[in-house]
Amino acid sequence: MSDYKNIPLPERRRLRQKMIKKHNLANILTHWFNVASWLLLLPTGIAIISSPRLGITPLWWQETFRNLFGSAANLITFHYTIGFIWIFILLFNVLVGFRRYFVPFAVHRMLLDKDDIQWLMTKPLQMLGFMKGKELPPQDVYNAGQKVYSYFVVLGTLGIMISGPVMVFKNLFPPVVKQIAQPVHFLSVFMIVAWLFIHVYMGAVFPEEKEAFFSMFSGKVSAWYARAHHEKWYWEKIKEEMEWEDEVESQVRESIEGKRASDLPQSTE
Amino acid sequence: MPQKNHYAFVIDVSRCIDCRACLVACSVENKFPMNHTRIWVHDQGVQGEWPALSRIFIPYNCMHCDTPPCTEVCVSGATYKDKVSGLVLVDQQACIGCGFCVEACPYGVRYIDEKRGVVDKCNACVQRLEVGLPPACVATCLGKARMFGDLNDPNSEVSIALKNAKSVVRLDYEVGRTDTDPNIYYLNLAEMGGVKSSDSFGQVKQAALPREPHYTISEEGWKKVLVPLIAAGMGGAFLVQATFFTKQLIEGEKEFDE
Amino acid sequence: MPETKISRRDFIKLTSLAGGALALGQFLPLQVARAARDIGSLDDRGNGTISTLCEMCVWRCGVLAKVVEERVVKLEGNPEHPHSHGKLCARGQSGLMNTYDPDRILTPLIRVGQRGEGKFRPASWDEALNLVAENMLKIKRNYGPEAMVFSSTHNLSQPQFENLLYGFGSPNYGTQRSLCFNAMIVANLITYGMEEPDRDYSQLKYLILTGRNLTEAISTSETSALVDAIASGAKVVYIDPRFTKTASKASEWLPIRPGTDLAFHLALINFMIAEKRYNQPFVEQYLLGFDKLVEAVAGYTPEWAAPITGIDAQVIHRIAVEFSEAAPYALAHNGWRTSNFINSFPTERAIAILNAMTGNWGVTLLPSAEEGAGGLGQPPQPPYPRVSAQRLDGVPWKYPFVPLKIGIFQQMRDAILEGQPYQAHGWFISRQNPVLSLPDQQKTLEAFGKMDFIVSVDIIMNDTDWFADVVLPETSYLERYDPLVPMGNRIFIRQPVIEPQGDARSALWIYKELGKRLGLGDFFQYTDEEDYLRQELAPLGISLEELRLRGYVDLPEGNGGTEFQWSTPSGKIEVYSDALGKAGFDPLPAWQEPPQPKSGEFYLLTGKVGQHTQFGTQNNQLLHKYQDVPRLWINPEAAQTLGLKDWDLVEVTSPVGKVKVALQVTPAIRSDCVYLTPGFGHLSKGLRTAYGVGSSDSALHVTYVDPISGGQALSQTFVSVKKA
Repeated sequence: MSDYKNIPLPERRRLRQKMIKKHNLANILTHWFNVASWLLLLPTGIAIISSPRLGITPLWWQETFRNLFGSAANLITFHYTIGFIWIFILLFNVLVGFRRYFVPFAVHRMLLDKDDIQWLMTKPLQMLGFMKGKELPPQDVYNAGQKVYSYFVVLGTLGIMISGPVMVFKNLFPPVVKQIAQPVHFLSVFMIVAWLFIHVYMGAVFPEEKEAFFSMFSGKVSAWYARAHHEKWYWEKIKEEMEWEDEVESQVRESIEGKRASDLPQSTE
Repeated sequence: MPQKNHYAFVIDVSRCIDCRACLVACSVENKFPMNHTRIWVHDQGVQGEWPALSRIFIPYNCMHCDTPPCTEVCVSGATYKDKVSGLVLVDQQACIGCGFCVEACPYGVRYIDEKRGVVDKCNACVQRLEVGLPPACVATCLGKARMFGDLNDPNSEVSIALKNAKSVVRLDYEVGRTDTDPNIYYLNLAEMGGVKSSDSFGQVKQAALPREPHYTISEEGWKKVLVPLIAAGMGGAFLVQATFFTKQLIEGEKEFDE
Repeated sequence: MPETKISRRDFIKLTSLAGGALALGQFLPLQVARAARDIGSLDDRGNGTISTLCEMCVWRCGVLAKVVEERVVKLEGNPEHPHSHGKLCARGQSGLMNTYDPDRILTPLIRVGQRGEGKFRPASWDEALNLVAENMLKIKRNYGPEAMVFSSTHNLSQPQFENLLYGFGSPNYGTQRSLCFNAMIVANLITYGMEEPDRDYSQLKYLILTGRNLTEAISTSETSALVDAIASGAKVVYIDPRFTKTASKASEWLPIRPGTDLAFHLALINFMIAEKRYNQPFVEQYLLGFDKLVEAVAGYTPEWAAPITGIDAQVIHRIAVEFSEAAPYALAHNGWRTSNFINSFPTERAIAILNAMTGNWGVTLLPSAEEGAGGLGQPPQPPYPRVSAQRLDGVPWKYPFVPLKIGIFQQMRDAILEGQPYQAHGWFISRQNPVLSLPDQQKTLEAFGKMDFIVSVDIIMNDTDWFADVVLPETSYLERYDPLVPMGNRIFIRQPVIEPQGDARSALWIYKELGKRLGLGDFFQYTDEEDYLRQELAPLGISLEELRLRGYVDLPEGNGGTEFQWSTPSGKIEVYSDALGKAGFDPLPAWQEPPQPKSGEFYLLTGKVGQHTQFGTQNNQLLHKYQDVPRLWINPEAAQTLGLKDWDLVEVTSPVGKVKVALQVTPAIRSDCVYLTPGFGHLSKGLRTAYGVGSSDSALHVTYVDPISGGQALSQTFVSVKKA
């Protein structure tokens, strides 16, 4: 079915102009809220890690931020304050209507199937210039790469959300728990950062995904993009559209039949 | 620019009578919990054969080392060597109480205050120094064994005491080497037999002889496993991304269609 | 002057105070914080420093108390006070834990259960004081005022305690002194005409320290002076059956056999006389009866002393030589607790004479500042009623040399028990813990059983309070005024640093209020503590406010010029005491063989630790934290013979009692001795920190009364030790 390359040009033009809604407002806001939080949390978090023995953060970075906030303690306070806001909003988004929205979404959209596995084995090589001829299997609204990325993000976020408060509520936990929380926090963050290199590249820089990037603002992608990259979802949307049209048509027909009875002139649409 | 001080303790062991006024004074001044202590007197116990007996007392607290292992391991920047006074201090708001520094200290002077979940130790009564008073232990020492002051000041009592001392010893964990450069200088310790065995008294058991810094397994694990792992992961991801990016730049922007 | 009705000041206080469950006619507690603010010691937020005096032991160092928001947060030594020189010992530093001890008694208590059950109910001051007065007057009516026994360890409010006692008409005054330094005091009185000459360490080159474990029985300034002297090169010969912390600092430690200090000093005297190593001009001019001494000590050679003391004759020779060569910068310390053996009194005489021979008077030994000097005034009062009854403790009719203000406490207790020469029926105790301090604890509790009524004044539920019928809560020293203390050419004040907690009141207040109810109001002619102090200051023209702000005032220049004279009958240092001779005692110190333990038994030694004061501080949480666990010291050889190990639980048995205690095997003690730190083994469950810690040595002590000085013989109890 991934034969989008065979679609004639006029049809392509029509498809390019037609827009389908991919992300709702809540998703968009949440995503950019997350970005903003990370932009605050990541640099401050990096500035906090000050163990000379581990040598992770350069001293000038630590000093800059400590001076900015006045002290190491203030820097930490800022970091975890933003952190708690971030935790609260994200959890709120996920947990409110957890069963109604999140669970079906997770089940429907986030699990890997056969096409996804195939895609994972093919796409990266294709990007490097190999396997040019091979056809990629059709993808859902989020392709396999995005799905795998989401797993790591969820895992990492959970790691951060649990290990962070452990270090803040320091009198509730024995020292060994806090000793473990530090590397967990750090590991989770930098695992996500590693993936971010790829996510930001693929989402914002890689030319094929330009529409994807703009869809994080408008919420919409063109039908052409959907047909090419997320075919399974495209046909789902088309099916929805056709069903919707059938529905409307049957309603009109009913109302027309109703009007014949009263002998009114035919109204055109 | 504020002058950098080199604060140090000089303790004349021949004058310590183990009256423990310093211990009580520190407890009252610094209000730490009953099951811990910031300061103690290391009691050698009775040495020698009857009737040639001897016994010395070695007052003990944080050495405010010049190359402290404790500040090396602090991940949150909570413990640090103050740039002005040279004292090793703990910012308990920044401290998360993980305890890496407690293990790292060769002298066992740090402890975790369970109730607050933070690390605590002698701070040379910095709140008293700010108003021109000596640390509480020094102020009340009946035998005048404890002295405190700025070694950068040639007229301070510590500088003068060191200059006139017959013998000066710093406690280290390998004979002849003071790896952490501690800032408690003991006078007359060599004459009185040096540091031997240890003893603990009362309800507060405290460390005896200094030992090499210990680094906790989790701290070692972090240093040896996680950081390299993460560096590799991030580096790898960056390289992957850079590869594709570079390829993209080289080949030019390919129009997606047509 | 009749008791004035409620004064204007009281009226103002009444109207300005809200609440207060106190009846009219009693004056209200002073508003300490407000008064301190008025004179500028505290600022508006209740922060500041107030100067007062410590009471954690008898040395009474000057204290600067740091107050933050009306709570005392730190105590520092007052640099202006000669006893502290700006330092405080462990007990002084812990003083605020005494004040904030959760076991403080904060309301008067009246017993509801059996004596010793510790069941009390809180009562108002009115009810408690009325009850006490009622009982005391009943005893007075039925048995005479002498049937009421008063005892108090020396306290700054002692003058008013004595007022109560003498005003009531009882002769029976018990202090702890016979358990401590009667031998030293009486010996000094006889030899020098003063209780205890002062010592000056600043030029000291040689010190013979007999007992007087200064690094553990801490007297702040003297302990510091000793350490300074040693650091300056002074030689210290320390004589003690135990290797104490002082021994570890001394140049030489002599592990003398207990009870033979006398032989040692007699040998020194003998040798110095034989070799003419004494200050001949001084001796000729100022000593009385020296020639008789020469005769009397002829046989006490070092060779004679060596087998008795266990110290080599050569060592005694050498020390005598060194000591005399260092003269006059030499000193033989007269000790402190000198109630050790039945021969402690002649030992003290020998020490006093040894000093006199070196001519160190005015160099290392100085005339003491007399107590009660300073020209202070006092409230007017009528003369005391005549006392016809004899004292129960046999002073002075059986013991003519014991000062009345000191008495023989253990004898008083025995007389209560025996009912001779009459039966006592009531006991008033203030700032004292005889249940734990008197030897033979069982006897003390039996004596309590003979009382119809026992009232105790204390700050915490100590052992004696546990067995009392009424307990009156005194304010701790940080919460009260006491009569002024002249020291040298200064007068120091003890003043409250914080508001008194709960319903506690000062002794000055308690004695006055009780006195009023006993019909003795005329003996307490002050309206409140501040009024009392103002009356004390009146002759000197110094304001109380000035004294409170600075903590001390300098006295105006005294009238000096009179030639110093020893207050002995002859005006000289009396080596030979006619008075002693006439009373049938030895006019010169003579050797007295002390009793010895049988084989398998040990001398039970007692002593002090630097972290506690006698029987009163064991509940202080800070001192408890840093104390050594109190165990029985025993020598490793002795332990091995008995098959005992370190930390074994052992049973210690004496002729009068038995205790169980953990063992401490240490080489720091002779193999014929064991040692127990006093003050533990508290019986009162009201001491939640101290109860259950250690064991009491006084439960083992056998009672003795030295016929001359009335002193107890604390080391003369012999015990056996076995595994519990």
